[in-house]
Amino acid sequence: MSPLKETNWQKVLHFLENNTVPVLFLVICAIGIPLSGYSASYLAQEVVVRISRNAFLIIALLIPIMAGMGLNFGMTLGAMAGQIGLILISDWGIVGIPGMVLAMIISTPISMLLGWGCGKLLNMAKGREMVTSYIIAFFMNGVYQLVVLYIMGTKFLPIRSSSLVLPRGYGIRNTVNLIGIRKSLDNLLAVKVFGISLPLATFAVIALLCIFVVWFRRTKLGQDMLAVGQDMEVARDAGIRVEHTRIVSIVISTVLAGYGMVIYLSNIGTLNTYNSHSQIGMFSVAALLVGGASVSKANIGNVFLGVTLFHLMFIVSPMAGKNLIGQAQLGEYFRVFVSYGVITMSLVLYEVRKRREKSRVGRELAAGQTAEEA
Amino acid sequence: MDKVHISRKIWIRLAVIVAILLVAVLMFLIGKQHTILLDNKTLEFGGETYKAFSIVEVQVDKEDQLELAARDRDKAVVTGQRHSITVLYMDANYEEIEKTWKFSVPLGEDMLLLSVPALVGGAEPAIWLTHYEPPVAAAAPVSEEVVVTEDAALLGDF
Repeated sequence: MSPLKETNWQKVLHFLENNTVPVLFLVICAIGIPLSGYSASYLAQEVVVRISRNAFLIIALLIPIMAGMGLNFGMTLGAMAGQIGLILISDWGIVGIPGMVLAMIISTPISMLLGWGCGKLLNMAKGREMVTSYIIAFFMNGVYQLVVLYIMGTKFLPIRSSSLVLPRGYGIRNTVNLIGIRKSLDNLLAVKVFGISLPLATFAVIALLCIFVVWFRRTKLGQDMLAVGQDMEVARDAGIRVEHTRIVSIVISTVLAGYGMVIYLSNIGTLNTYNSHSQIGMFSVAALLVGGASVSKANIGNVFLGVTLFHLMFIVSPMAGKNLIGQAQLGEYFRVFVSYGVITMSLVLYEVRKRREKSRVGRELAAGQTAEEA
Repeated sequence: MDKVHISRKIWIRLAVIVAILLVAVLMFLIGKQHTILLDNKTLEFGGETYKAFSIVEVQVDKEDQLELAARDRDKAVVTGQRHSITVLYMDANYEEIEKTWKFSVPLGEDMLLLSVPALVGGAEPAIWLTHYEPPVAAAAPVSEEVVVTEDAALLGDF
């Protein structure tokens, strides 16, 4: 028997080590659900709504991870583009699915331009992509506010609808009512199963995106991205245009984030003009990490597990906090610090795991050499 | 002079861009929402008088049927340009008559006024379907709507 062969106990420990975050969330949810007192059907309905609302956005994060660029906090740029599309279709009075499609089409060139710029900057900050994309999102938030608050409604970008423009005559109001497209996609093909409403059309769109991601991995570009994600120098030696591939991955992610934002806001039905996009990157990243993804590895399974566990915690924690201590506010704070905590923990665990893996490989090599010498 | 060579790749890209633009135009056309004000008031135009019905039922496309008394006005919100209107009224002999007309709404119009008496009276479309500008009155500032966000909105305060 090899001295390095794992015992069952070690296997369990290894599994727990690799899946600390999802296991922790499972435990939190297992404790929180009975405390909250919510019925199973209510929770199931809420989770279905959250999956249909958020899954597209979270899937948008997968492609940059493939290319080794980590978690793309720059998806906020795509979200801003999606919001600009939604403001314009609201002004033009385009409703329903055509309105959503038009908003997505409008967002596409904006997302591509922003994604290209973001990708260029990230190529200048290799190894620090996540923090750089985070700061780029802050910077672009300022530019977005400048456009929406001071340019929209002027002769440069006319907005006719008085329900959108601020009373001073230019700039967009704090909230935009998206009643024209609210739940258009969800209600297109809604089926009730055991009293739970399933938005099949939204699920079909999400399924199409999943198929696209799976197909994309097998294409030449997808393989190039995987190679770049593994080792940039080796990929470059193999003739892959590393910088170009990285930019393309960010552009695709940003464009998908724009589409995801349109789906997300159409489900909610109201656009919070100056805040909706700012929370999206954080939520999506946290949900993906809760699903067991890491900075360098993520798959579609992580998306669905993550969105289920993360939002289940969102749903149950205020009521659990209220029933436990008599204050719903405690549950609110709990989920706030858990959201940030899970991102921190995942990043730390990723580093720890990477180091352990390195030392394990070293030990295996040393053991192999000793065995050869003997 | 050298002939400019456009590669197949560029042609395909151009075709995709054109196709997307066409889809955008199509979405604009089929998704544009219009408000039609259905007006049952006596209308005088060009020496002709179109008298209001004492009671009339109007249905635009497959929307709910609206009942209008004399001097009543109601609205129908429609999407797209081509629509039909069905009017159910009583003639001078107290016989119920139901008639259906097809009409198009100009793309740039958000709100139109449709005079039911003029429509039934056989007037020109330019008489019974006219542009309507809603009156702008000085009003107190409307309070902002309640902001709907994801449940963990508190994250933004952190």
